[in-house]
Amino acid sequence: MIKKSLHNAKSVLGLSYSIARADFKLRNEGSYLGIFWYLLTPLAMFLIILFVRGVINSSSIPDYPVYLLIGLIMFNYFRATTSTSITDISGNSNYVKSMKISYESLVCSRIIQSVFSHIFEVVLIIVFMIFFRESLFGLLFYPFLFLFFVLFILGLSFLLSTIGTFINDLSNVWSVLMQFLFFATPIFYAANPGDSVYLANLFNPMFYFLSIARDMIIYRTLPETWMTAIMILFSLVTFLIGFIVFEKNKSKFAERV
Amino acid sequence: MENFRIIVENVSKKFTRDYSRHETSLSRTLSFIFGSTHKVEFDALKNISFKLASGKNLGIIGKNGGGKSTLLRIIAGIYKPDSGEVSVNGNMVYLAGFGQGLKPKLTMRENIYLVGSIMGLSQKEIDSRFEEIVEFSGLREYIDTKVYQFSAGMMTRLNFSITTFCIVHKNPDILLIDEAIGGGADITFQKKALDKMEELIKGGASVILVSHSLDQIEKYCNEAIWLENGGIVMQGDSKKIVDAYVKTYSDDGSVKGYVERKKKREMMKIGVENAKMEKIIAEKISGN
Repeated sequence: MIKKSLHNAKSVLGLSYSIARADFKLRNEGSYLGIFWYLLTPLAMFLIILFVRGVINSSSIPDYPVYLLIGLIMFNYFRATTSTSITDISGNSNYVKSMKISYESLVCSRIIQSVFSHIFEVVLIIVFMIFFRESLFGLLFYPFLFLFFVLFILGLSFLLSTIGTFINDLSNVWSVLMQFLFFATPIFYAANPGDSVYLANLFNPMFYFLSIARDMIIYRTLPETWMTAIMILFSLVTFLIGFIVFEKNKSKFAERV
Repeated sequence: MENFRIIVENVSKKFTRDYSRHETSLSRTLSFIFGSTHKVEFDALKNISFKLASGKNLGIIGKNGGGKSTLLRIIAGIYKPDSGEVSVNGNMVYLAGFGQGLKPKLTMRENIYLVGSIMGLSQKEIDSRFEEIVEFSGLREYIDTKVYQFSAGMMTRLNFSITTFCIVHKNPDILLIDEAIGGGADITFQKKALDKMEELIKGGASVILVSHSLDQIEKYCNEAIWLENGGIVMQGDSKKIVDAYVKTYSDDGSVKGYVERKKKREMMKIGVENAKMEKIIAEKISGN
């Protein structure tokens, strides 16, 4: 039983990897221009916000440029991956309808592909950190956080791709939600204990991911235990809910797309 | 006890046909508030039962919308039946036309690996079949060309080669084929493809073949099911079913091609026999 499900998981991952690799090639079409466009969004935001930083009271935030960049890049990764996950099933109707294919691998492939892209984003962070003469030591611990971050996004992707097959304009709703979340999350400002923004952000999973990443990378301190605990809880619970909803509904996918 | 590959028992399936094909959250909320959900339910399949013994081939015929593809998808496990049960004994490959997975902007080599892995082969397994696929397609010189530059015929050849060799590799006990024989390639390749398909069908696997080509049903299948509006009209020996089907639709022209071909074949048979007779007579005369 365990051996069989292990074998299953292995074949799902193998297929996901193949699809991811093909999609990654498709997006970049031989050159790495696709990556450039992908990085352009956070980079443009980065420059714009740095220009208008006088409006934001950023003087209280140490190492503001790197603080901002980490926030923007992690949020961009989150936004891009979840937005595309909505069409993971409905956009692959030819596979879903006419082949006996594990639907999980359609979702996982998108995640694997996003991890490829994220490597380039991390390189961008490294370049900027060298430019601003920061120590790179804290980045060594980033993969641990990223593991939970990906788990969180994977769960959300399962959930969104399921809803996306039943409701067609979810992507419109989601992009508005993302816009809202972008301003609600302390990306270009700081939320300090006691602020109303801070209290609201206690319910925002992105807040935990960003805070812990910044603590580790910029300030090279251990993140607070309760924050780490809640972060882990968020990612595990999201993954479980997403996965269960996906598994419960997947027999109806072929009829809906 | 006879060994059954597939047992389908009282399978029914309902579909809801929505008036708004594209359901959106906005229109959903509105129709929920105003209580006007335009939904029509219809039976895609009604109480279908049959058994398929191992080594036997089954053909499914019927008009469009009769439920043929739905039935096949239920057996393949893509759709879930509303009621009834399907039990499948053996590993199964479902084949619904060729040309599902090709990505135009990838090269032929990349496409072979992509479609192969979607068909369920691992990288290593595709490696071992790669040469055969390229050889069969006859497109060796285009191996690193992007597929969108291929002609339609070349696409068909590539598709067919990949799919066929993946099936050969998986060596299934059960093969479900939905309108997949033939294609838009040139005659030489079509012949090659048909031979390969025949080899697959006769290779010992149990086959369920959905086809509008009565010739194929008659040629490859022992048994047949005639579906109409989701129900079985007739089931049994394939020749009998095809004959009954032809009789029913003899006026509306849809089986004209089949009837003509059959006539031709019979004429040829008679012709051959006549020729034989003439030869014998001639021999006898000259002998005398």
